[in-house]
Amino acid sequence: MAEQRAPSFQVKVGPVENPVILEVHPAPGDIKPWDLDSRLTQVTGRHPRLEGAQKVTGRAQYTYDVRLPGMLWAKMVRAPIPAGKIVRIDTSKAERLAGVKAVWTTDAKQVRFAGQDIAAVAAVSQEIAEDAARLVEVQYEPGPFVTSLEEAMAPNAPLVFGEGQAPAPPNAPRNGNVTGPVVPPQLGTVRGGSRGDIEKGFAEANTIHEATYRLAVHTHAVLETHGVVAHWEGDQLTVYASTQGVFQVRAGLAEALGLARRQVRVITEHMGGGFGSKLYPSAVGSAFAIVACRLAKKAGAPVKFMLDRHEEQLCTGNAPGALMAVRLGATADGTLTAIHFRSYTEGGIGQSARTGGPAGNIYPQCPNVKLEEYEVATNAGPTCALRAPGHPQGAFGFECAMDELAHRLRMDPLEFRRKNDSHPFRRFYYDVGAKAIGWERRNTVPGNPPGVKKRGIGVANGNWYVLVREAVAAEVRVHRDGSVELFHGTQDIGTGIRTALAVIAAEELGLRPADITVHVGDTRFPPGPTSGGSVTTNSSGPAARLAAHEARMRIAALAGPLLKANPEELEFADGHILVAAEPARKVLFREAAQKMPGEVIGCLADRKRQFETVRQDLAATQFAEVEVDVETGVVRVLKMVGVNNCGIPINSLTAENQLIGAQIQGASWALFEHRTLDRNVGTMVNPNLEAYKLLGPADMFEAVAIFTEGANAGNNTSATGMAEPVFVPTLAAIANAVFNATGVRLRQLPMTPDRVLAALAEAGKGGKA
Amino acid sequence: MPKRPPENPPSSFQVSRRTFLKTVGVGAAATGLVAQGARPAETAILGPDAVPFTLRVNGVRQTVTVEPRVTLLRALRNHLGLTGAKEVCERGACGGCTVLFDGEPICACLMLAVDAVGHEIMTVEGLGTPEKLSPVQAAFVECDAFQCGFCTPGFVVASTALLNKNPTPNLEEIKAGLTGNLCRCGTYSRIFEAVRTAAERKG
Repeated sequence: MAEQRAPSFQVKVGPVENPVILEVHPAPGDIKPWDLDSRLTQVTGRHPRLEGAQKVTGRAQYTYDVRLPGMLWAKMVRAPIPAGKIVRIDTSKAERLAGVKAVWTTDAKQVRFAGQDIAAVAAVSQEIAEDAARLVEVQYEPGPFVTSLEEAMAPNAPLVFGEGQAPAPPNAPRNGNVTGPVVPPQLGTVRGGSRGDIEKGFAEANTIHEATYRLAVHTHAVLETHGVVAHWEGDQLTVYASTQGVFQVRAGLAEALGLARRQVRVITEHMGGGFGSKLYPSAVGSAFAIVACRLAKKAGAPVKFMLDRHEEQLCTGNAPGALMAVRLGATADGTLTAIHFRSYTEGGIGQSARTGGPAGNIYPQCPNVKLEEYEVATNAGPTCALRAPGHPQGAFGFECAMDELAHRLRMDPLEFRRKNDSHPFRRFYYDVGAKAIGWERRNTVPGNPPGVKKRGIGVANGNWYVLVREAVAAEVRVHRDGSVELFHGTQDIGTGIRTALAVIAAEELGLRPADITVHVGDTRFPPGPTSGGSVTTNSSGPAARLAAHEARMRIAALAGPLLKANPEELEFADGHILVAAEPARKVLFREAAQKMPGEVIGCLADRKRQFETVRQDLAATQFAEVEVDVETGVVRVLKMVGVNNCGIPINSLTAENQLIGAQIQGASWALFEHRTLDRNVGTMVNPNLEAYKLLGPADMFEAVAIFTEGANAGNNTSATGMAEPVFVPTLAAIANAVFNATGVRLRQLPMTPDRVLAALAEAGKGGKA
Repeated sequence: MPKRPPENPPSSFQVSRRTFLKTVGVGAAATGLVAQGARPAETAILGPDAVPFTLRVNGVRQTVTVEPRVTLLRALRNHLGLTGAKEVCERGACGGCTVLFDGEPICACLMLAVDAVGHEIMTVEGLGTPEKLSPVQAAFVECDAFQCGFCTPGFVVASTALLNKNPTPNLEEIKAGLTGNLCRCGTYSRIFEAVRTAAERKG
C-alpha cells in the first residue's frame, strides 16, 4: 500500500566532479532515487538489446511485415500539383478493375501541396492496388503557388492560405505568408528566452558580429515508411501502426471514426524509425490511417496501408529549413552582452518548430536577449517535429555566430564558450571533449594549413529540456515459477526501451535483464508515453521501477519466513534473496515465488510526479574534425566527439548508440541532405533515397560518444532523456570545423562541393565561382 | 557491393526459363503464353496473369503463384512469408532488401521473381535463427549494431557476403563492402565493429 505521507530524501547528485547533496521531495508512494552513492549492478551497464536476436534474423515483426488472412492492400492517389482546386475525382475505372474492393475520395476542395491525399483504393494485391490508383482520374484547376522561403516572403507572393486558414497561432501577426513573431512554447522549467534590453547590451559591447545563416529542409527519411494494418472484428478495431505513440494513434482514430477508445486497440511490436514524424494518428500531411480504417470497414477485410518511399518523402513531415539573422555582442574579455536572434522557418503548409531555443537557453547568464521567430508558409509538404524540433537549425545559426564572434575577439572558441557557460554539467564537458578530439591540433589561424586537403577542428554546444509524461504506469507480474513479465504501453522506436525497462526491473529484483520479459507497444497495457522529445526513459523508467519495487516487497514477504528474517533485512542479488547481514543465508528468487498463494503476483504502479533536480535543461557539446578538399570542394568528416550527460544512464551500450546516431544524422544534414523542390512546377525533385542523399558507410567517420558521470534526480531513476540534445550541436560543430580548416565561413547548409568552391572563390582562397 | 542483380542474366537464363515452363503445370502456364511474331518461336512471354513457379529459397524448394511482374522481394515477403528483407527505397538505393543470389548480394527489389528460378536464394532468415545465430548475427547483437533494426536484415546479409569473400577485411574494405546499404538511425560504426568482431571469431 502506498504511504500517504510525502517522503523526503537526501541524495547525492550532479556531476561526479562536483556533486551536491540535495533534499528532494517526491510524491507519496515514491521511493528513494538512485544517486551517486547507489550500488548498482545492472543499471549503467552495457546490455545488448533483448529483442536483438529477433531483429538480426529478420523475425522481428514490423507493421510493414504484418500479414492477416484476406488482407487487402491500399494505395493513395496524391495531388501532382502544388496548388489549385479539385474539380472532379472519377474512381469508376479503378472500381471496375478486378480485385479492387473499396475506394475512398477526399472531401477537400483545395490543393495546397504536391502530395496531398486525393483518393485511395484497396485491392487484393499490392500490384493491383497500384494499377487501380493509376486508373483514378482527377481534374484540377491549377492555382498560383510558391515553393521557396525567399519567394514566399516577397510582398506580392501568392498566398498559401486564405484568411483564417493558416495553422499558425491565431494571435500572431500575419503578413502575407509570414506569421509572427510567434510566442515560443514553454518547454519544461527552463531559464532563457527574451530578456533584458538588447540595445543596452550592444552599446556595452566592444565587438559585434552579425550574419545570416540558411539551411535546407531535412526530411526524416525513416526507413520503415508510415503505415498501418487496420482490422475490424465487429465494432472492435485493431490497428497495427508504425508509430511513436500507440495511445496517440488510438485517440486520433477513435475521434476520427466516432468510436469509444475501448473499441480501438493499437499495436506496435517493432517500429522502423520515426524521429518525430510518427507522432500523429496518420502523418502530418496525410490521413492514410483513417482512410485505411474506412476502406477496411467498407471492404469487410483487413487493409494494409503502407506509404511508398515517394509518398514518405512528400507528406509525412520534415524539419523546416530556416533563414536566421543573428547579431551578437561581447566585451573585449569575451563576456556576451547581447543576443539578437531573428529567424524565418520554412514549414510548408505546417506549423514550424521554433529555432530560438539554443540562442535563448544555452548561455542563460547573458542578460540581454531578443528572440524573434517567424513562420513562412509555402506550397510544400508540412513540417513536423524532428528530433529536438527547431534546435539543430537554431544551434547552427547561433553557435556558428558564436564561433565567428570568438574569431573577431581573437579568442579560442572553446574558451569563449567556457567563459559564458554556467551549466553544472557542461562546464566539465569542455576538457573531456577537447582531450578526445585533440583540440590543441586545431589551426590557431583558421585556413592556414598548406596543401589541397585542409583539416580543421570545431566545437559547438546544444541544449534540450527535461520533459516528462507523468500520467503513465507499468505492471510487473511475477509468476509462481519465478518468471517475470513487465507490461507498459510505450513503444520501442529503436531506442531500446524494452531493454531499459528490463534493466530497471532486474536491478530491483536482483535478476538479470534477460530474466524480465518486457511487453510494450499495445494499448491494452498500462499507459505509456508517446516517444518524442526525449521523454520515454525518464517517464517510463520510474513507473517500471516502482512496479518492480512493489513486486520485490511482495516477494520479500514470502522469502522472510523461509529465511527466518524480517523482509526489511533482505537483499535481492544474483537471482537470490539473502539476509543482508549474513549473505550465506539465502533462497533462490524462484523458491520464494513458489510460496505465493495464487498463480501470479501483479503489481501495477503509477509514475509519481517529477520533483526538483539539479538542473532542468540538458546540455550537449560536440567537436568535429573535417578535411576539406579545396580543389573539389568535398568536405569529409573525419571524427566527431560528443560529450553529454543523461544523469544515470540506464543502459550505456544503447545510450552511446543514440549519441553516435545523432552525429551521423547531423553530419548527413550538414553535408548532403537537401529537399529540392522544382520552383517551376512545385513538385519535389528528389523524393527517393538516391537523389535525397543520406550519409552512407563510405562517408563514415570515427564517432566517439562520451557520457560524463553524474546523476540528475528528478525521478527515482535519476535518469534524464538524451536523444534530442545530442542532435542539436552537430551541424554547427561541422560548419565551425570547416571554417577552421579553410578560413572561409559557409553560412549555408548543406555544405555541398559547389557551395564550398563558391565560398572559397569568393574569399579568394581557391575554388571556382 | 555490387547490390544490383547481374546486368546480363546468366546465360542459361532463356533455356532455363523454357525448361521451367515445360516442367511447371502446363495448364496454368499456358494461359500466360502468348506467341509474339517477331520473336523466336521458343521465347515465352509470361503473364499478365499469375503463373506458378518454383524458387529455391534458403535451401528449400517452394512454389509461388504470382504475376510475372512481381519482384523477387515481393514474392518472398507477400507470398512466401519471408518478411526479413525490407522494401525501403524500392529502387536499389538502400540495400534494405539485400538477399544472396547464388551467393552474391543483390537488391531483391530490382529482380523479378521469375528471373530467380533456377538460382539459390538465401535470405536473412536462412542465415540463422534466434536460437542459433550466425557469427555475423551474434556480433550484431553483441555490438548493438542497430537501433530500430529495419535496415539490419540487409546489413546482416551484406556483411555475410563480404566476409564470405574476404574473411579478414580492414575498415576501408568493410566500408566498401557495405556501401550499398543505408541506416537512418546512424549505427554504421557499430556495424563495422560487428563485422570485425565476426571476422575475428571466424578467423
